[in-house]
Amino acid sequence: MSVVDRSAGTVLAAPDPVAAMKAMRRARRRRYVARADVMEVLYRVYLGAIAALFILAFLAGALHEVPADPSSVDGIRAHGPAVIGIAVALLVYAGLRAGARGGPLAIEAAEVRYTLLAPVSRRTALRPAALAQLRIATISGAVFGAVVGNFVFRRFPGTGVEWIGSLAAFGALVPVAVLGSALVASGRRLRPGLAAILGVALIAWSALDLALGWSSSPATWLGELATLPLQSGAQAWLAAVGAAVALTVLAAGLLGLGGLRLEEARRRAELVAEMRFSASVQDLRTVILLRRQLASEHPRRRPWLRLGAGSANPVWRRDWQSYLRWPAVRVARVVVVAIAAGGLAVGGFDLTPVLFALPGPLLLVAALDLIEPLAQESDHPTRRLLLPFTASALIRRHLYAAFATMALVLAIATATAALAGGDPGLALGVGAVVFLPLAAVLVCAAAVSATNDPYEFILSPQLAQTANLAPIVVALIAGFLPLFVAWKVEGGNGARVSAAFGTDLILVILAFVGIGVLAWRFNKREKEAL
Amino acid sequence: MSGGNGAGGAIAATSGGGGAVPVLSAHGLGRSYDGYIALGSFTVEVEAGEFVALIGPNGAGKTTFLNLAAGLLDPTAGGIEVAGEVPGSLAARSALSYLPDSPVFYEDLSVVEHLEYVAALHGVVDPSARIDELISRLGLDGWEDALGAELSKGMKQKASIALALVRPFAVLLADEPLDGLDPPSREVLFDLLAETRAAGAAIVVSTHRPDVIAAAGRCVAIRDGRLAYDGAPDPKILIELFDRSELEGA
Repeated sequence: MSVVDRSAGTVLAAPDPVAAMKAMRRARRRRYVARADVMEVLYRVYLGAIAALFILAFLAGALHEVPADPSSVDGIRAHGPAVIGIAVALLVYAGLRAGARGGPLAIEAAEVRYTLLAPVSRRTALRPAALAQLRIATISGAVFGAVVGNFVFRRFPGTGVEWIGSLAAFGALVPVAVLGSALVASGRRLRPGLAAILGVALIAWSALDLALGWSSSPATWLGELATLPLQSGAQAWLAAVGAAVALTVLAAGLLGLGGLRLEEARRRAELVAEMRFSASVQDLRTVILLRRQLASEHPRRRPWLRLGAGSANPVWRRDWQSYLRWPAVRVARVVVVAIAAGGLAVGGFDLTPVLFALPGPLLLVAALDLIEPLAQESDHPTRRLLLPFTASALIRRHLYAAFATMALVLAIATATAALAGGDPGLALGVGAVVFLPLAAVLVCAAAVSATNDPYEFILSPQLAQTANLAPIVVALIAGFLPLFVAWKVEGGNGARVSAAFGTDLILVILAFVGIGVLAWRFNKREKEAL
Repeated sequence: MSGGNGAGGAIAATSGGGGAVPVLSAHGLGRSYDGYIALGSFTVEVEAGEFVALIGPNGAGKTTFLNLAAGLLDPTAGGIEVAGEVPGSLAARSALSYLPDSPVFYEDLSVVEHLEYVAALHGVVDPSARIDELISRLGLDGWEDALGAELSKGMKQKASIALALVRPFAVLLADEPLDGLDPPSREVLFDLLAETRAAGAAIVVSTHRPDVIAAAGRCVAIRDGRLAYDGAPDPKILIELFDRSELEGA
């Protein structure tokens, strides 16, 4: 039994319940800080800062960005806010959806049991958790926005200070809008259906802005803020209104904090506690499964389409049965990921190639959904061992359906880039030469990630970290490389498409390495089990 | 016993006009999940000082009812009041103490810190004597400074009982409170419940145990989410209503 330092003095001396709650939280914070290994934290911050500086310096040196041509600048000035607005609206939709299911706060089970059932204002009790979450999100958003701004200003009219400032403000205000929407949905107890309708309405409104060349949706107004150095007059004022709307939504969310459903808060508390543990042992697979539970994302009882009888290829059939039971929200997420990846590729060409770093990891999220049937084989080794073929053969067969659907996802991304960008020929050309090998890499990376054994390297955390990060890094490289090469090469579309085609060899090698890792891993597990 | 400052006692439930009201009343209370009815049209009233055993087979709706009363669930039909207030309101939270079936603790607070914190949250001015008494009577001596993770199942249950009793309340809801307790600790819990009842608080205990049913003055049975019996704990009637195995020989 451990002896802990007593905080009783401060709690018992508190003049009222709220003061007692604050005193206890202060005491717990002090205890947490006292137990933290300061040198370890500083060392991690130091390593992170060095890595960030190195990456920024490398990118700044490698990109050699040239000023954008006037037509690109005009296009972004006219359509950029609405396109960005649609992205913001999608995030707000996600926030509303999370809020209607008890999010975004993750409260300790004991906090629900004792503090929220005590006669203390729940708004007061929950405010610190909401502000802490907001603080982290806004700072991260602002830093990311500033980094992007640092690259964008080299290509577009406007000073570095203007771009870094406007994109940092935009980066900070997006989480404000998203968290604010989630808090409103949670505190006002919006039904999931109503929250979804509100979110879809905002997306449709922003899409209408894009189609008609308007700037009427609050999400588009935030887009005006993101492109503020290009805007003038009324557009600049709209950016300010957009910021005010985001802050108002947040204020409404904070005011209604106390209305959250304890039922949802308890459910989230349990799931989040499990997620934190899984994250602490770097068990990404369990984190994904718990996140699906958190979002109430269950397979459909009735599939979208029933497959006819047939047993020529049972694994292929089983995989499609899984996809055909996907809930609508997962189908929508994968499609949105594909559209976002296509949009980011266009953004990389039109704004800054730094954005090429995002499609790969984003598409990995879709691949992790597609790899679910394979991941379940990994989750149930006994069932796998009872089958009349080797584990590695089974795993390989599971890759086919995932590969076919991933190719479809990349086709959607390519079509998006062709429709959204100014050069459909280039988008279709690069997409056509890259989508198959890229699909193979992403599926293999997802398969390696989903079948990682979190306890395999439990004694060497650095190795475990590497095993977890490797699929993400591979996905990032696989998404970045063909786009960057196509952007970098000078000449017509033919030269650019050829350059992208040249990266296929690297992608194919990466895919084979992934297949090799999977075969080695499952053969090893099979031998150990037998 | 009265007021909010005396630890562990009962607080009076009064209406706006000052007259006595049931400390717990449910009328047509229902809760369903995607078409599955966990509790349907459930009506019950509990007066101050009553000891009610809430019985029924697994999945009958007992815990659902307790969670609705505690404000942890929202009803989908009917209504429920705690001391004349809506569950979850400040007054209802003051009036109701809930002892759930699975103890929960802050991972970085000791047993005694939990007790001090909960007492302070409920406005108890000087809880030290009550804390010492509960620790001593429940056999938690020597475990005051232990963290939740260091406690055995039985010790966790004892700490959870102490947390439910360290603060004033008008009604105590307890879900299987004897689970994990050794026989001497069960006797202590029965004594504590008797004292609580004598102080004027109502007690509603969800249970399968015949000794709890026998100790209660009233038995409310739920089956398939509906009220099946409400009256004195007569074993003959109960055996007619339930399989013997469901009531462990009651």
